[in-house]
Amino acid sequence: MVFLRISSGLRPRLPEHEAVPAGRHFLSSVARGAGAALLALATAGLGEPPDLLENERAFAFAARGVDAQTVEARFVVAPGYYLYRDKLHFRIEGAPAGDAPKLPRGEMKHDDFFGDSETLRGTVSVRLPLARPAAARAVSVIAQSQGCADIGVCYPPQEQKVTLTMPAGAARPTAFVEAAPERKRWFR
Amino acid sequence: MTTAREEGQALSTTPPPPVRRFTARRGVLTALVLAVVALALGVYFGAVHRGAPTLSGDTLFALSLPDAQGREQKLAQWRGKVLVVNFWATWCAPCREEMPEFIKAQNEFGARGLQFVGIAVDDAAKVKAYVEEIGLNYPALVGGFGAIDLSRGFGNAIMALPYTIVIDRSGKIVHTQLGPLPPAKLKSLLRDLL
Repeated sequence: MVFLRISSGLRPRLPEHEAVPAGRHFLSSVARGAGAALLALATAGLGEPPDLLENERAFAFAARGVDAQTVEARFVVAPGYYLYRDKLHFRIEGAPAGDAPKLPRGEMKHDDFFGDSETLRGTVSVRLPLARPAAARAVSVIAQSQGCADIGVCYPPQEQKVTLTMPAGAARPTAFVEAAPERKRWFR
Repeated sequence: MTTAREEGQALSTTPPPPVRRFTARRGVLTALVLAVVALALGVYFGAVHRGAPTLSGDTLFALSLPDAQGREQKLAQWRGKVLVVNFWATWCAPCREEMPEFIKAQNEFGARGLQFVGIAVDDAAKVKAYVEEIGLNYPALVGGFGAIDLSRGFGNAIMALPYTIVIDRSGKIVHTQLGPLPPAKLKSLLRDLL
């Protein structure tokens, strides 16, 4: 409520001949509103611990079967968080693993102690090939990861596990199975 | 809305049956009670979630952990000091970044009763190597990865690092900090406690 008022007060009044498309007006007011809201939150939160996500929510793991011989492992890294590429490992149970997976390239981050390391952000998708088709078979995917938040905290290494049923030969990819379903929040 | 309708009803020639008005008022009352209950629950779970420490300073002083050289250290030996317990790890860059500040403070205020103690959520070998490299001037106890659960008991609900707790001379936890302890905050705490 408050930020809407602030944003309309701050928005410069444009002369008629410089009319800006309505969409841009809207976007800029949304941006200003968001900025003001963030400022308000930051002010209200002075001295409070930062509102951080738990490990498994900052780095939400899911997996699906793309075809009978391929698993797709996926991390959705929350904005403001990153994973260390060289700390990312996958293991498969219930089917023999195939070739080593190819991890996406990340951005370099300098560290005085460990040297440079690559970090991954956003959606990180990795294909895990199986040595043989595991049609209609239950397969477990275990992901090991370690990451940090830009705000200045790091999370211990964690393991997340997903069990899925592989699609049959010509079947369509299965839906992603999440490692940490939303409802878990209520029990914490 | 409700008030306006009620006013309208009061002015009309046929007043609504009293039962219905009673129900409306009870509805408002129920909503109020529900709101209060929801607020109370929200505050309670918010506090639990945000991680008010469930363990006391006494629990901390009952602990004993090996230091980087493998010698068992009882935390009770630092009772009566202004104790800053810092949960950290070598794999945690923001933890390593704030340690020079702690080294400086330990140098400056150690004689006045300030004692830093690091608890590493890490392997002993890595802790030993790092502690020697930076010349740490306060004990680095090795807690292993289980030490993150210990920190949770002291309010680290998110279970991330660094996590720092400040204990006054009487053994009371007076401050907890997730993420780097801002130097200004440390300064003001020490001014009050030393």
